[in-house]
Amino acid sequence: MKRVFSVSLGSSKRDHQVQVELLSEQFEISRLGMDGDFERALTKLQQLDGQVDAIGLGGIDIYVYAGNKRYAFKDGLKLMEAVKTTPVVDGSGLKNTLEREAVTYLLQNTGFIKKGTRVLMVSAVDRFGMAEAFAAAQCDVTYGDLIFAAGIPYPIKTLPELEEIAAKLLPEMTQLPFHMLYPTGKKQESRDEEKAQKFAQYYQDAEIIAGDFHFIKRYMPNKLDGQTIITNTTTAADVEFLWQSGAGRLVTTTPVFEGRSFGTNVIEGVLVALLGKPYNDITPVDYLEIIKKLNFKPRIIELDN
Amino acid sequence: MATHEEISASLQSFYEGYKKNNKLNLMNRDWNRIIIIKASDIDSQHTLTLQNGELSVSQGAPDQKADLVVTSDSETLADLFYGDITPTEPYLNGTLVIQGSEDDILRLDFISLMIWGE
Repeated sequence: MKRVFSVSLGSSKRDHQVQVELLSEQFEISRLGMDGDFERALTKLQQLDGQVDAIGLGGIDIYVYAGNKRYAFKDGLKLMEAVKTTPVVDGSGLKNTLEREAVTYLLQNTGFIKKGTRVLMVSAVDRFGMAEAFAAAQCDVTYGDLIFAAGIPYPIKTLPELEEIAAKLLPEMTQLPFHMLYPTGKKQESRDEEKAQKFAQYYQDAEIIAGDFHFIKRYMPNKLDGQTIITNTTTAADVEFLWQSGAGRLVTTTPVFEGRSFGTNVIEGVLVALLGKPYNDITPVDYLEIIKKLNFKPRIIELDN
Repeated sequence: MATHEEISASLQSFYEGYKKNNKLNLMNRDWNRIIIIKASDIDSQHTLTLQNGELSVSQGAPDQKADLVVTSDSETLADLFYGDITPTEPYLNGTLVIQGSEDDILRLDFISLMIWGE
């Protein structure tokens, strides 16, 4: 039995444990939310080090990307460095492969994505592979990084502009406490009513809303109009929430185990455990090959709105 | 230690950097704020006013209640508004104290980085 454990800065209300068989290996996958308590997360990571096959860091990014530049969050690095033996991942390696592939799959196999489709990516630097895939598909993309992370009503419309702004901001912004830029702990359970109202138009103008589910949920306006949501980390309750909000369909990029799609950090942890290679030797090609073997494909749920 | 005049000059430089960046006007059109810049080691106070994306700088305290109060020693303030240092490190080590909402603090940091960032 291989054990993969995800320690998340998010809410403990989403804790879950499943057992699955993948490529003839039995896996126990657990997710434990720390309710935004950074010190508790550090302690838990130290306890798990050497006891499990892979550790995922959830509710926080270690690395974000814009173009060929990688930026590391100080808080994310601190958590990663608490783990000395077990491979520790934040999902960013997988986002660059699995999520890029998910867009390509939808482009080739469904009618949801085509040239000119209006896409709102609530944040792109944490999913740059997906952002590039939408741009390559010639979608009309709004990158909402400034809107939703910083509350600035400025839609970024091109990847070069995203890269330019990221180069100015991210070297310093990544040094700030992570909770200043991303909803952690209890904030994940509530909507930001003021911003949801202020920025509703960006959601309503889009045909596809993609990206981090906590961002999508926190700033979701009262009513959608049949939009497609492309994300992961959704529970059965989230599917119900999206249906009630008027979303048309949900596409999850990570596989669903026992009714929920886990975060990319969890799935990257599973793949690392399956590959059995030193983490630093794993390449995007390794991920792509094993994703193919596992037959991971986006899951589409029609919400009948 | 910097003088009041040096802080004034640094704020003028910040103002010119803001004016040069056309995007900042657009990005801050919703952010009407009054910000006090106060030195902790000399008698020096300035007011930054953002209204409909336009920035103005004046000497002394504002007539109305401020949304943000930025306090630090005169040298740090001058360095900061000249763009010689970024606000992140002095903010995190407590040299730079900003009173206001977390969203507003983040926005001020953002403006500074948009002007002086790489």
